[in-house]
Amino acid sequence: MAEAPAAPALIGVEIDGRTVEVAPGSLVWDACEKAGVFVPVYCAHKKLEPVAVCRMCLVEVEGMPKLQPACATRVSAGMVVRTATDQVRKFRDGNLEFLLLNHPLDCPVCDRGGECDLQDFTQRYGPGRSRASITEKVHFEKAIPLSDKIYLDQERCILCWRCVRYYEEITGEREIVLQERGVHTVVDTFERRPLQSKFQGNLPEICPVGALTHAKYRFRARPWDLRRTSSVCSHCSYGCNIFVDAREDQIARYASNDNPEVDDSWLCDRGRYAFSEHNRGDRVVNPEARVGGVRQAVAYKDAIERACGGLLRIRGEFGPSAIGVVGSSRLTNEEAFALQWMAREVIGTPNLDHRLSRLERITPDDFEVGIAEIEECDAVVVLGPTPEAAAPVLTLRLFKAENKRGRQILRVPVGVAAARLLQDLPPEATVAIVAHESDASAARELRRKLSAPKRLVQILTIVDEVNSRGCQDLGLLPNWLPGYRPALNPGLETLAMLKAAVDGTVRALVLVDPSPDLEGRALFADALASVELAIVVAARPGVSTRGATVVLPGRTLVEKAGTVTNTEGRVQRVRSAVEPKFAFPPDLRVIADLAAGLGGDLGVQPLAGPVFTKIAEAVPAYRGTQGGLRAKWSLLP
Amino acid sequence: MTESGLVLTRHHGAPDQTTLAGYERVGGYGALRRAVQIGPDEVAVQVKASGLRGRGGAAFPTATKWSFLPKETFPRYLCVNADESEPGCFKDRVLMEEYPHQFLEGVLIAAFALRVTHSFIYIRGEYRSQRELLERAVEEVYRAGYAGRDVLGSGWGCELIVHGGAGAYICGEETALLESLEGRRGQPRLKPPFPAVKGLYGQPTVVNNVETLSNLPFIVEQGGAAYAATGTEASPGTRLFCVSGHVEHPGTFEVPMGRTTFRDLVELAGGVWKGRKFKAMQPGGGSMQILGPEHLDTPLDFKAVADAGSSLGAGALVVMDESTCVVNVAMRLVDFYRHESCGKCVPCREGTYFESELMHRLEAGVATRSELADLSDVCANMDGRCFCPLGDTATWFVMSAYRRFPEEFEMHCGAGVCPVRYRQEVMV
Amino acid sequence: MADLPTSSKSAEMLDTATIRRIADMKGKYPEARSAVLPSLWAVQDKLGYLPTWSLEAVASQLGLLPSDVEAVSSFYSMYFNHRPGRHIVQVCLNVSCGLRGADELLEQLRESLELDDEGNTPDGSFTIEGTVECLGACGGAPMLQVDRYSYVDLTPETAVELVQGIRAEDGRRR
Repeated sequence: MAEAPAAPALIGVEIDGRTVEVAPGSLVWDACEKAGVFVPVYCAHKKLEPVAVCRMCLVEVEGMPKLQPACATRVSAGMVVRTATDQVRKFRDGNLEFLLLNHPLDCPVCDRGGECDLQDFTQRYGPGRSRASITEKVHFEKAIPLSDKIYLDQERCILCWRCVRYYEEITGEREIVLQERGVHTVVDTFERRPLQSKFQGNLPEICPVGALTHAKYRFRARPWDLRRTSSVCSHCSYGCNIFVDAREDQIARYASNDNPEVDDSWLCDRGRYAFSEHNRGDRVVNPEARVGGVRQAVAYKDAIERACGGLLRIRGEFGPSAIGVVGSSRLTNEEAFALQWMAREVIGTPNLDHRLSRLERITPDDFEVGIAEIEECDAVVVLGPTPEAAAPVLTLRLFKAENKRGRQILRVPVGVAAARLLQDLPPEATVAIVAHESDASAARELRRKLSAPKRLVQILTIVDEVNSRGCQDLGLLPNWLPGYRPALNPGLETLAMLKAAVDGTVRALVLVDPSPDLEGRALFADALASVELAIVVAARPGVSTRGATVVLPGRTLVEKAGTVTNTEGRVQRVRSAVEPKFAFPPDLRVIADLAAGLGGDLGVQPLAGPVFTKIAEAVPAYRGTQGGLRAKWSLLP
Repeated sequence: MTESGLVLTRHHGAPDQTTLAGYERVGGYGALRRAVQIGPDEVAVQVKASGLRGRGGAAFPTATKWSFLPKETFPRYLCVNADESEPGCFKDRVLMEEYPHQFLEGVLIAAFALRVTHSFIYIRGEYRSQRELLERAVEEVYRAGYAGRDVLGSGWGCELIVHGGAGAYICGEETALLESLEGRRGQPRLKPPFPAVKGLYGQPTVVNNVETLSNLPFIVEQGGAAYAATGTEASPGTRLFCVSGHVEHPGTFEVPMGRTTFRDLVELAGGVWKGRKFKAMQPGGGSMQILGPEHLDTPLDFKAVADAGSSLGAGALVVMDESTCVVNVAMRLVDFYRHESCGKCVPCREGTYFESELMHRLEAGVATRSELADLSDVCANMDGRCFCPLGDTATWFVMSAYRRFPEEFEMHCGAGVCPVRYRQEVMV
Repeated sequence: MADLPTSSKSAEMLDTATIRRIADMKGKYPEARSAVLPSLWAVQDKLGYLPTWSLEAVASQLGLLPSDVEAVSSFYSMYFNHRPGRHIVQVCLNVSCGLRGADELLEQLRESLELDDEGNTPDGSFTIEGTVECLGACGGAPMLQVDRYSYVDLTPETAVELVQGIRAEDGRRR
């Protein structure tokens, strides 16, 4: 094996008198950042190639007669940069004057007011006076709906090209382009046709001003009204990092929170705009119980006692197997772990699950390659459209691998013949197969056929829901114990449990956060009607709460604290961004209280941190993953 | 050296120079044959010996530019800048209209020396009839076997493509030209990488001007030394100067560099028209600084003109007589830059607009004195701050004119009319 | 020069000759995208301007998105997105022409030809443009260009005569 190339020696650069060491080839901008010197930019963006069009970042570089753009100038050893000299300041002031010359100055009615780089830099560096009133402003169109999601205001646009470059470099869709030229230049779509992209919501985020704004955030809030919480998007298994911006008890928007290993700072519209789901008012706000055939609100403690009394009675009468426990893929790892513990260790039933039916026997082998790692593979084989449909942001990673890294992307049907792929794959290569969980066996088969002595083939399986992966890893399944240890006496999976309920062999169900999929089944309603006892922890009223014997208010994922595991096995924290409208305990505590009522002791406080410690004890792959790392399955014996 | 001392226009008067047959009758394409005989390296040696410098405006030594191509990277391309658009320049038009085959022979010699497989001639959209003339000439060249596969049995082949622009001054900037040629908006590229390393389609590319290449047949035919002997050591060769404005007989004049002065050029053009007095001149094209009567005896030498505070640029000379309002001239140029700014960078896009608005107010006599100060300030915020030279140079004439004629600018402030025109009208 | 706008309105489709021209040009360049400008010229020569549908047609011929083509077509000042007069008259107002009376020449044309704000004659024969680049014929200033040909050493009077003459010639041909 060839020796690993030595890391290139760092070079010293002086920024405003401070010397910093940076990698050769770095931009002056990066060096300034490292030196803690802020340089204002509009066009520059960490994820986009430099264009140096806004000129805001011009700085003095010793030995160069003209000011140089920090965003596009590469460092050289011993370079001396000055960012705050008189000529730099004078130009910044003048450049802001240029930018404001044809700007409408409509900050009071602009959604970006308070978080606008034009506003901010003008306050910080800009002209104290205005002589722009001498000239007539060039007028452009305002409030153009580019789609049901995005508005464009051409007057506020400062032509930084970020949106255009985003569409060119990040999605490749080129929906927004530059049109006309000179002072009449605008960004627009072809003939004003509506945007089709699945990734439009990123536009207002990369726009440094109020030219591109969210329809759903229009006139909704000012940044100082918002409370920001960093969390994980809950709308698929990809695990994009987000900021949840909440105003009082309402979520105003999701914003991206760059994780280069996962989302690379881009969100899909499906996830981003799903925030309004959480603002729906239909919530379970009180514990309820059927008392003498009539459902009524009861005290929390009373509800727990009634639930536990019923469970103990049924277990006593019919044995633990008469009880079924069903969670969902939206539970946190801590909840999933606690729930399987309660089912197995406290109730003693093997009947536990979190999904309707077992799809494939998926094991850690099906998640070898990470999301960011596919960029490093020479070729990526994507089986069918389902992986990208399930996790839309994957499309952007594939485009980056192809466009910026020059990787080969082969989108093929699930049943593709290996021979066809072998024509395109070099004998020495690293290959990733990306497949949806429902095609796991096809992916494995393909891996076997494509593997060769010098061709390493690895799989990335895309699972369906936000914590499908965690619930599997932690054994909320009838056949696997935590950490994929096989269960000695596998119990029933969900559908089998429901059938057993109708048949009368299962007499009690414990449902935590029942999924809409489950609620939509006729069999589920039948099962609920058949069982003697149904204990439901749910955030929203539905089939399950209506048919329940005991109902306990649950939280949605934006109200919870804990961790979830994304499809590549990365353990990431979710944080409570808003408080529910009730003061009852969180779901994890509810599980612990139920367990306690049944005589079980979790041994730790029912809080995310302590429970995670227990998880790490039970599942060694999860040790040390809490900083957002991938579970280390491959290192285990 | 020819007896006439002419290079570019040495076939003046010979019939049918726009046809292959006519050109061949005066020995045309002999230089290409010779180039093929002596080989590409020797062609480069002769070009180096000639001291030829680019005629597009930057005056960069041609041989040096060629030498920047990475040795073994292919394909590589030659792009000819026939986007002549500098106000006051019309020499490339003349060379293409009157001596198209001499030009094409020059293109092919360069293509051979650089071992390119495709040569593109980017000609501005407004030169529509010239484009069609070139296209016909190119067809003749292909038929004669001077282009296409295996040129003159050398084993080397080259495609020759005439590419028409569509109205954008900025495409005269070499990287904007490449963008345009690639089918994009003609906006300049970030440098580095320079075209020699990463140019057209990301491959090594040389961009040369029409006049530059039109010299090559002479250089290959008579040797680089003969060419160098026509000028001075610092400014070798001849140039085709375009004299226009207030002269009796505007036109192009081929003169040896260094040995000729601005006064000579003005006299070749019949002197200042209508018996009027000389007021000022703009050499080089619309981007360059104004010069006064004291510079008339400056030789047409790169350094001498630079020392005088201007540049030979693309070989123009616009003469202004005593009746000229320099504010009006400056306004016209600023309007041009505003119209032609590509819009890429802020100081050029907004600055040319601001500048032009102020110039219109000044020329109309409605600007205040403080606006005149604003004008200087706006120009200072543009010059040297823009992405490409367009925005920088959009300030050069205005500022140099203001420095030279401050009282004329100041006189406009608050005058209510253009005082220069007013005085003339009252006097008439 | 724009061919006479004929029955192009009938179908929003490029004629086979234009499609063939585009295909030829596409083949000439190492990369197809380079054929955008020449293709737009081919279409404008045929239709007199570039209607929206033609941008889509060019895009599909060259394997580009329509947005790519509009970004390009709107950048260059010689492409029209609406139907101009039968003849395009470009009057150079740059320095050399300005020094020799181009303003007066344009003014005279404006008055004599009763131009509207967009520079069109009432009969649609001419579109007169006064904001063009230096047309590179400063040796014959003041000058103007009608379609592809330059006319130099003009006076306001000869400029008007020239345009009227072209109009009369058109009339005779029709």
